[in-house]
Amino acid sequence: MSIMNNKMNTALALVLGCCLALSAQARDKRDYHEMVYDSGCKSCHDQGTKTYPSDGSCLQCHDVEELVEQTARSEEDKWQNPHNNLHYGKELPCVECHGEHQPKQPMCNNCHTFKFDKHKQ
Amino acid sequence: MSDVNLLGRRNFIKGMGAAAGVAIASPAMAISEKADGVKWDKEVEVLIIGSGFAGLAAAIEATRKGAKDVHIFEKMSYFGGNSAINGGLFAAPGTPMQKQEGVKDSVDRMVADQMKSGRGVADEGLLRHVAEHAVEALQMTMDAGSEYHPYLQQLGGHSVARTYQTTVSCGAGITQPLYKECKRIGVKTHNRSKFEGFIIGEDGKVEGVKMREGYYFKEEDSGKVVYIRAKRGVIAATGGFAQNINLRMAQDPTLTSEVGCTNAPGATGEGMYEMFRIGAIPVHMAHIQSGPWASPDEGGFGYVSNYSIYNFPHSMAINRLTGKRFMNEIADRKTRADAELSCRDEKGEALPPILITSYKHSKKHPNTKKVIKYNVGWKFDTVEELAKHFEVPVKPLKAQIEEYNSYVKSGDDKQFGKNMTKAKDKFIEAPFTVVRLWPKVHYCQGGVQITTKAEVKDSFTGQPIKGLYAAGEVCGGVHGVSRLGSCSIPECMVMGMTAARSVMDA
Repeated sequence: MSIMNNKMNTALALVLGCCLALSAQARDKRDYHEMVYDSGCKSCHDQGTKTYPSDGSCLQCHDVEELVEQTARSEEDKWQNPHNNLHYGKELPCVECHGEHQPKQPMCNNCHTFKFDKHKQ
Repeated sequence: MSDVNLLGRRNFIKGMGAAAGVAIASPAMAISEKADGVKWDKEVEVLIIGSGFAGLAAAIEATRKGAKDVHIFEKMSYFGGNSAINGGLFAAPGTPMQKQEGVKDSVDRMVADQMKSGRGVADEGLLRHVAEHAVEALQMTMDAGSEYHPYLQQLGGHSVARTYQTTVSCGAGITQPLYKECKRIGVKTHNRSKFEGFIIGEDGKVEGVKMREGYYFKEEDSGKVVYIRAKRGVIAATGGFAQNINLRMAQDPTLTSEVGCTNAPGATGEGMYEMFRIGAIPVHMAHIQSGPWASPDEGGFGYVSNYSIYNFPHSMAINRLTGKRFMNEIADRKTRADAELSCRDEKGEALPPILITSYKHSKKHPNTKKVIKYNVGWKFDTVEELAKHFEVPVKPLKAQIEEYNSYVKSGDDKQFGKNMTKAKDKFIEAPFTVVRLWPKVHYCQGGVQITTKAEVKDSFTGQPIKGLYAAGEVCGGVHGVSRLGSCSIPECMVMGMTAARSVMDA
């Protein structure tokens, strides 16, 4: 069974790999970002497609103040707001906690046991 | 199935990349170079490496002294270094709050406490310089907007209460205001900028640095190297190396990756090693301190550390195997960390001891709510409940509570000689709050040797290396074997300010 699976995986990987080799960098993505993909890699990869997007790239569409509001917590826990947190305020680059092509954990988890149920990895 | 597929695909892509001849990352060689023939990409007046307490204080002070073009370079994507996640505890002698609380203190007394914990090898001159200017540095934080709890704390090894703590119980209560102040006064800050070596002039003077801009942490080939000339000088405020497992194990093989660490991921020490490379004197590299207030139930410094620091003076630390105390709860950090590490079960496995505090006393610190809410500390209504939860023999535990309470009453701890001043009238009574303790690597006493002017001394000549200054945890030998709690922030701030003054006077 496991051998079968491996074979299937290899076959799948080959097919996918060839497609990928052709389209260079296509990877996992968030469905709700579909429209951004439609307008091309460079809409996010503003420093060229061979490197990471700039730290300001997400902010072309997303507004920090809005995010701060959306993730606001009660007065007692106000500094646990990931978009306006105790340690770095509103300045933490998005990619520290979110990845477009690969999942990421909230940075808070390095030291804290906070739960972010709606965290978009 | 989907997970497996993903993995297969990723590995396959990696293979493709290599086969297709895509450039493979090779470790970047960071080497100090001769200035002769270097083409400078940029020129700045004061160049500061690192954005923790020391770097931020240096930037503000340099600007106050008239510098017009001050630049801070930070390798991480965010500013504040390890300082942004530290405990926010600031010791100073002769403060307004001490006057208010009637605490008699002096520079001499603070230095004497630190010399004792340094076990004979601390640098008295540097400790005195820091203590003398600590109030001034505290003022700088307040001027920038830092706010402090309205009470003092007495930390382990300190003979009196002299420690302020930010209202947010974190160093961010200082780095955030200082960072904003830097922005306000026109300091230029650069993140994702990794320092990769000094550029040395003919006379051995540090002329500038090699800097990798657009750097992504741990991706050593990311970004692009530029050469930056520093007209007045370079201030290295690059911090400790507690997160660099290889480097810390080279000094102390017991500090493996299994041992927890309170530090930010960027505390990896390359700045210090670059200074050694050009001749700086390494001091006390093997004195790496573990924090005895840390918890095995959360990562890093977390919430428990400050909870314990606040509560140790009026709490009882218990070995779960015996139900008895095993240390002076406010001895210096090394004494306590060593004592905790000796708490083991019959098989010799780690058995983290517990800290028991009366809820009515612990609840005065804001972290108590947090530790309970986030399940890294627990509240119990009876001794029996507590003993059952942690599998502590209840009879000896009850006897120990009774005995300890007699010391609270008499003010004389016959078991471990704990200073009971801050425990006055604070009996151990139900309901209790309890956390588990296990030391984590916290602070590197070692680093480069500096003078009281923050100059970096050269191994060969014994003279300061021209054009180079260092401040903060990257410096070594200041505290000796064991640094006292809340003495790092004053050191970072004062030496950062001192470095800035020296740069501007040079």
